[in-house]
Amino acid sequence: MKNGKDLAEYSIKYAMDQNCDFAEARYVEDLARGLAYRNGQPVSGGMTPTSGIGVRVLVEGCMGFAAFDRLETELAKRTISTAIKMAKNSRRKEPIDLGEPVTNKAKWKTEAKRPLQDVSIDEMMEAADELNKRMEGLSSYILTLNPRVQSKYYITSEGAKIEGEHSYLLMSAILTATSTRGSEQRYLDMTLAGGWERIDESNLYDMLSDEVDRLKQAAERAVAVKELMDQPIDMVVGQEVAGIIAHENVGHPSEGDRIMGREGAQAGESFWRDLKMGESRVGSEAVNVSEDPTVPKTSGFYGYDDEGVKARKRELIKEGIINEPLLNREFGTKFGRGSNAAARASGYNREPIIRMANTYFEPGDYSFEELVEGVKLGVFMRSFKEWNIDDRRFQSKYTGSEAYLIKNGEVTDTMVKRPIMETTSVGLLTAVDAVSRNHTFEFPGTCGKSDPMQGVPVYAGGGEIRFRSIRLGGVG
Amino acid sequence: MSENLKSLVDHAVDMGKKKADAIIARGVASSDSQVRFSESRIDIAKKWESQNLEIFIVVDGAKTGATVRPASTKKDVEKAVNDVVSFSRTLPDSMFYAGIEEEAKRYHEAPGNYDTKIDQFTEGSTEVVNSIIAAALDEGAKRVAGSIMVTKTETFFRSSLGPEGSSKSTGFELNVRALQDELDYSGQGLRSGTIPSAEKDEMIKAGAKAGRLAKEAVGAVQGEPGVYDLVLTPTVAASVIGDVPTRANPFVAMIGLSPLQDKMGEQIAPDMITVHDDSLLTGGMGTTSFDWEGTPGKKTTIIERGVLKSFLHNTSTARMFETETTGSSRLASVGMGARLLLPGASNIVFENGTTKVDDLLDVDRPTIHVTCNWYSRFQNAQTGDFSTIPRDAMFLHQKGEKKPIKNMRISDNTMRMLANIDALGNDRTQVYWWEVRTPTLIPSMRIRDCRMTAATQ
Repeated sequence: MKNGKDLAEYSIKYAMDQNCDFAEARYVEDLARGLAYRNGQPVSGGMTPTSGIGVRVLVEGCMGFAAFDRLETELAKRTISTAIKMAKNSRRKEPIDLGEPVTNKAKWKTEAKRPLQDVSIDEMMEAADELNKRMEGLSSYILTLNPRVQSKYYITSEGAKIEGEHSYLLMSAILTATSTRGSEQRYLDMTLAGGWERIDESNLYDMLSDEVDRLKQAAERAVAVKELMDQPIDMVVGQEVAGIIAHENVGHPSEGDRIMGREGAQAGESFWRDLKMGESRVGSEAVNVSEDPTVPKTSGFYGYDDEGVKARKRELIKEGIINEPLLNREFGTKFGRGSNAAARASGYNREPIIRMANTYFEPGDYSFEELVEGVKLGVFMRSFKEWNIDDRRFQSKYTGSEAYLIKNGEVTDTMVKRPIMETTSVGLLTAVDAVSRNHTFEFPGTCGKSDPMQGVPVYAGGGEIRFRSIRLGGVG
Repeated sequence: MSENLKSLVDHAVDMGKKKADAIIARGVASSDSQVRFSESRIDIAKKWESQNLEIFIVVDGAKTGATVRPASTKKDVEKAVNDVVSFSRTLPDSMFYAGIEEEAKRYHEAPGNYDTKIDQFTEGSTEVVNSIIAAALDEGAKRVAGSIMVTKTETFFRSSLGPEGSSKSTGFELNVRALQDELDYSGQGLRSGTIPSAEKDEMIKAGAKAGRLAKEAVGAVQGEPGVYDLVLTPTVAASVIGDVPTRANPFVAMIGLSPLQDKMGEQIAPDMITVHDDSLLTGGMGTTSFDWEGTPGKKTTIIERGVLKSFLHNTSTARMFETETTGSSRLASVGMGARLLLPGASNIVFENGTTKVDDLLDVDRPTIHVTCNWYSRFQNAQTGDFSTIPRDAMFLHQKGEKKPIKNMRISDNTMRMLANIDALGNDRTQVYWWEVRTPTLIPSMRIRDCRMTAATQ
């Protein structure tokens, strides 16, 4: 076999010769290079080229998946045969239906003016040195810098053929600032999508300096403001917090596989299960949350999903009412809506499942100042640290990292230590009364789901959001 | 051992030692499978075949580099060695390299680590899953979800400094979640081990347990925030309390993510708590006769009668901290792409307690029995401030009554909770699942005065 594409095509033919009703093959080449530093000093470097083929088959209404890394015909046959045999043994009473055939043929790639493959290790180290400089003065800081390019060749027995390429500059830092009041920590994801030019375009170095300074300020100045616990208050949150709320409280519960129970034992189910699309209200009229993989220069960008369906925007919540779930082909059929291109596989050795891409609160009409003007007593939570949410995505907790007291319509200099918003999703979203027009994707992250775990890069964001009458779960 | 695996590794080392100060190569051939199910039906059956060559090299004194990639031919090996050598030469010296194992050693056998009937079990695993689903339904569940992963791994390694060794291992990991029609009522059963063909009955029992808990959870009411004593099952104890000894790691401490920094020799837990890292544990999912650089695996006591006694080390960190390696070297990922040799736990083993679980719950103070948890996050890993979410069945024991409750969060501090353990169960179990990725043998435990929070609106 000459190469991975040939073997992918052979794999389809082989699977269909074994009486499968459907077969797809994804040949993936992935190259990640990495540098890691502690307190400015190099800890490690490395390169991880990964490649292989993942084959998914539908046989007698049952699903099988085979993955192999060596491009050997006999290995492909053996692995696919075992997967088919195991799938047949499943004896599923309700056959899996992928719906209408998908026959798209297309090529897409993340725009990269300076391809990451062409960036030398010296240039990577120069960038890392500059980033490390910007963190000096913290008591501890860890930096990882990982350019990664992933190319995919996807074909199916239905005739789809998609070639795609992702390009990510994965970057993260773990920051610890210490003062006489104790220490404050923050995990900062700085991932950019595209080529090396994104570093300059995004003003990365100054952004990091700013974040470091803000964390130091929080460690030195933040105090527990007890009056905030005495009564319900108003909260204004920054775009990063808006992003995590969009992702956790809206994006995850909108996933069709969760709604129908397929992630029941792992990432969980969804409180949307008991709601009606287009009818059930989960937030105020100010809440409009969308999902869009077509936004360029984002980690969630793709032209076609990992089932060959053309990407499009999805409106998850419109004016507070749930509107559309995220769907792949299997669950698009179950919902009677068809796929909306939400299938993603993190690598060749993972099945495509329903995932988010870029999730955000749609911009509103307000300026930040107008949001704050209307607050008598409250908190501006610009960024967050500890967070979690239950597996139905109904009860969430967000602990502020950088937060300020708002009094009489003004953000004061008083920094509030670790204010906690611990609410239900509906309690949180119905408290929204305004969203600013300052939309940005401030929250790059890696979203985890499934078993074996699949981490996929995503973006999230929105404008600043004002919540009325929130009772804090804690402060200090 | 596969001759192909050995010849690839030998070729890498023979070639690499001419270009580098030292090279360790490890060939890992894996044949894994998984069956996933939900809504009481099998969703997908998966099969993976992979063969990776892992290389760590030292060049020009203290420049280190690593690569992991698929390899099946000598040409693949040559490319891997050339790539990693040339890449590593461009790097600065690593601050975290102070040497690797320099002597060939004899390794203890790790018994009970390989299931000779693994392939037959894999082919029949869908039938086992259907039996597990049936057991959960019989006990009162309405819906059953879960997965069983079965692994078979063959390893050969060789270091240019002398050590070499090989191993074969198998393992399985079962997670069953039983649910009622309502989202709020569910229960979990877990089982993991190294000999799946001998554990079919235990797997079915895990399904039955999940179903029983799901039935007992029916009618759960909103819990009241406050301070309670908690009884944690092994599943929850492994996640919350088991996290502390996994951070007895000099690298984790140096990057500010361990609450054990500066605690050596201090009493951090009650006398009843003794914890080991045991690389040679029979049936342990993390059992290995040798670490990544070829130092023999062994048992290391981390906490002895409540006192922090030792961190885990590899050769480099042992030299940096002027102590002995504990045979805990692992090729760890830092970010995506970068790897280095760091200490890491194998199997965390808490000594078993003597109290029956029923007696742990025979209480005169309001006590919450937490059977499962997920999504733990730290506010500050250096101090241990964290929260985690109980999921599945949870019960309030108060005034002689047991009542199912729901929708609460443990919001506390891992070090404080470790110090407040007041009784250990006699039900020590290996925990290894989605939420606990270091195999941990741990009993149920009762912990005084824990903070439970809930949504304010």
